[in-house]
Amino acid sequence: MSAGSNAAAATFWRQLPRNRLALAGAGMLLFALGLAVFAPLLAPEDPRRALLATTYSIYAAPNAQHWLGTDDAGRDVLSNLIFGARVSLTVGFFASFISIAIGGSIGMAAGFAGGATDRALMRFTDVVLVIPDLPLAIVLVALTKPSLFNIILVIGLVGWTGTARLVRAQTLAVKERKFVHRARAVGASDLRLITRHIFPLVLPLLVVNTVLVISLAILEESALSFLGLSDPTTVSWGQMLNYAFSRGATSSGAWWALLAPGAGIVWVVLGCTLLGYGLEQALNPRVKSHHLMRPAAPQTSAMQSASPAPADALLEVRGLSVDFVAQQQPAVHAVQDVSFSLRPGEIMGLVGESGCGKTTLSLSLLRLLPAAGRITGGQVLYHGRNLLALPEAQLAAVRWKEIAIVFQGAMNALNPLLPVGRQIAEAVERHEPAATAAAVAQRVGALLEQVGIPAARGRQFAHQYSGGMRQRAMIAMALACNPKVIICDEPTTALDVIIQAQILELLNALRRQLGLAVIFVTHDLGVVAEICDTVLVMYGGVVAEYASVDTVFNQPQHPYTRALLAAFPDFSRRHNALVSIPGQPPRLHALPPGCRFAPRCSSAQALCHTQQPQLLRVGAEHYASCHLLQPMLPAGSPLPQPA
Amino acid sequence: MQAGRLLLRKAWSALLTIGFVLVLNFFLFRVLPGDPARAGIKDPRMTRAAQAAIHARFGLDKPVLNCLASLNPLRRGPCLVSPLQTQFFIYINNLLHGELGISFHTKIPVGELLRARLWNTAVLLSAGQTLAIVLGVAGGVLAAWQAHTRIDYAALLTSLVAWSMPTFWLGLILLFWGSRYAGLPIGGQLTPGLAGASTGAQLRDAARHLVLPTLAQTIIYLAEYLLIMRSTMLDVLAEDYILTAKAKGLSTFQVLKDHALRNAALPIITIVALNLGFTVAGAIQIEAVFSWPGLGQAIFESVARRDYPVLQGAFLLLAVSVIAANLLADLLYTWLDPRVHAAP
Repeated sequence: MSAGSNAAAATFWRQLPRNRLALAGAGMLLFALGLAVFAPLLAPEDPRRALLATTYSIYAAPNAQHWLGTDDAGRDVLSNLIFGARVSLTVGFFASFISIAIGGSIGMAAGFAGGATDRALMRFTDVVLVIPDLPLAIVLVALTKPSLFNIILVIGLVGWTGTARLVRAQTLAVKERKFVHRARAVGASDLRLITRHIFPLVLPLLVVNTVLVISLAILEESALSFLGLSDPTTVSWGQMLNYAFSRGATSSGAWWALLAPGAGIVWVVLGCTLLGYGLEQALNPRVKSHHLMRPAAPQTSAMQSASPAPADALLEVRGLSVDFVAQQQPAVHAVQDVSFSLRPGEIMGLVGESGCGKTTLSLSLLRLLPAAGRITGGQVLYHGRNLLALPEAQLAAVRWKEIAIVFQGAMNALNPLLPVGRQIAEAVERHEPAATAAAVAQRVGALLEQVGIPAARGRQFAHQYSGGMRQRAMIAMALACNPKVIICDEPTTALDVIIQAQILELLNALRRQLGLAVIFVTHDLGVVAEICDTVLVMYGGVVAEYASVDTVFNQPQHPYTRALLAAFPDFSRRHNALVSIPGQPPRLHALPPGCRFAPRCSSAQALCHTQQPQLLRVGAEHYASCHLLQPMLPAGSPLPQPA
Repeated sequence: MQAGRLLLRKAWSALLTIGFVLVLNFFLFRVLPGDPARAGIKDPRMTRAAQAAIHARFGLDKPVLNCLASLNPLRRGPCLVSPLQTQFFIYINNLLHGELGISFHTKIPVGELLRARLWNTAVLLSAGQTLAIVLGVAGGVLAAWQAHTRIDYAALLTSLVAWSMPTFWLGLILLFWGSRYAGLPIGGQLTPGLAGASTGAQLRDAARHLVLPTLAQTIIYLAEYLLIMRSTMLDVLAEDYILTAKAKGLSTFQVLKDHALRNAALPIITIVALNLGFTVAGAIQIEAVFSWPGLGQAIFESVARRDYPVLQGAFLLLAVSVIAANLLADLLYTWLDPRVHAAP
């Protein structure tokens, strides 16, 4: 069996006890179960004892003798309430057992067999499904005999359709997994496939579903009893409500006779609901955050940059740090103390392996981090204005108008339900409210043509575009408001070579004509060499090296940069074989104590493993963080760095 | 084209399901104890001729199926009857002519009786469902937007509690409170003796009768819709295109309205449409509490009276409303999702 598929199931069982909602629900159910089991000991009176009711004993308000008052026959409501738990739980347990057995078998058989068997079973399920449960149960119970056994049987026989559909869908999904194919290939029998390979993966879903089926069975039993279809030899909560309702509790003002039994039902069903909700969460852990959650206010600090910005800098980032915080876990330093600057018309390559903080850095410039991301320090100066200190409304005016982003993965970055042209127009309308509809439409057409998409296709949806077209549409969208800076997060990875060259040419032209500055996030050092002016190499969330493209390619100083270059094919030189970098980039939540690259560095020394190197100025406009390097200036000159 | 074919297939499937329901329905009420051919019709007030006429009209004198007088296999009936002469065929044939039979109890044609009852149920449902949908969707959006804040947790917990309440019990509590402290009527559609009053007064009275049942329904379904909307919305708000919209400088309101709500609407509309089919049957609890003469009450009364033609008709109606809602959901989905109707 594959480790991956079972890991999901294992996580589910492990997470279960930690889920507070599930625990609360389970506790409520256990309490009710305790009442049911020990009812004869707990209840002050036997509810079936014959009573001589008098006008004084019926509907007596709660008092010292009857804590919850008495009912229409003068019986103790509290005792009835305690005994009522028995019927509810019995029906809930046994009826759901029947439903799950039927639904589970049908669903698993249909999903596993497929073909005609599947069609026939599902057609049957659909027919039963469209006849609503409660009326069917009413007819069946009423026309047979409302004994506890019949009630259980009917509720069980009526309520299996949802389970069948769910189990079928899950079986279908599991059946196609690789490990099932493998097991089949080595000759496992159908029975073995089902019991050993499929059932364990269907089980967690079935457990969640069972809790729901139990709660529905309990609700159904209470409705049937309330409608008068209850076993007269037992006490049930629905039956108590039926008697109270039909025998004048409302007109007598006997709220206790109405409230108490209902509270019993709500208690048990809520227990199931909470348990089910908690189980569901453990089964499908959802993303904890979304893009509209209010982010924590960024902490911004006046920082002296290790790399002083030129006077004409358009965008200057100083000592930017970003943490990811999760509950009960130490903060993850995703970006630490990153500084760089961008002149108008400059293209900066942002390179590094996956997971080294490139995307986090890009998003934090416009404060678009997910809710768990916190900017913990630094400044983002655009035209000298600190974007980290702007109120949200003013920042929104800067977004796209001044700084636009081409996101990674254009399929998901485009809204599937809006025509692509509309999504571009939206940006124009937002930042140029004065533009007429015709002008906007014309502009959208021109933008699409500019990236090689016929204007007419602006009316189409993202799913009608090819991967490359979507990527180009995103670039057109980013250009919509003539921004001064574009952040391109791996914009050309999905494109073929010719289109890629066209896009690069377009960016190049725009930079020349309009002075557009670009931050180009990429893995592709060839592209960097072709169009970038400067390169920022990131490793493990920090700047490894920052210099002009010529310097980085010809005189790389940081061992990581050198290793990156060695791993990249260079056709201009008759080079030795490519050298890959051993190991993996550091996981950000387990950073090494010293230099982040030390574990993979061939020239690492003792100091590298214990102390984090500072960013040093190693040449004119050339910065690197490595213990092996000598600062260009005499001692004392490296600009002060906060630890 | 593709979408058209898809819908045709769905419609055909719906028809097929109705066909199977018809069969199931017919035999269900003949397997159950109490032979409809003899029950009910033996009303001493009817003349023999009248009884015979009804028998002939609904084929009650004919075997259920060929060779079977009833579904009791021991009671064999005449065999060489043409299939057209069996109860089943007569039932289907009558149905195709819009005849659902005659109520054993009231002697009113079932179609007529159910039409009035269905209308009452629709009146009961419309206000409550509209309110529940509007408030549920709004609440779900708010809770998802404010995810993991106090507002969200309050909405979530309240909804889970409301969802766990039996519909009839919430009705009872509201009835108790409304009739004792808010001066609202305890049930029915109109106060008796208002026939002579002005139209305005009658409408006001009818509205007052609707307040409590509507409130009960709103609360129950509101919780359900809120929970669904919240989880759908949470998924949508975590999508990348929401980040794109935010990066474009759109305000939170614009992102919610133009991107999130629109995209979350697709699943929610489907679920609501599906649910509407089942609400007709769900009304039975509220109708019982508030003595509302709807379809649910009709079923309940007919069970006690063994009035099989009414039950058979009502079940058909319930099933058809679920199937119709299903079809409506498919139709809406196809219409709203460009990925289905716009060719790739």
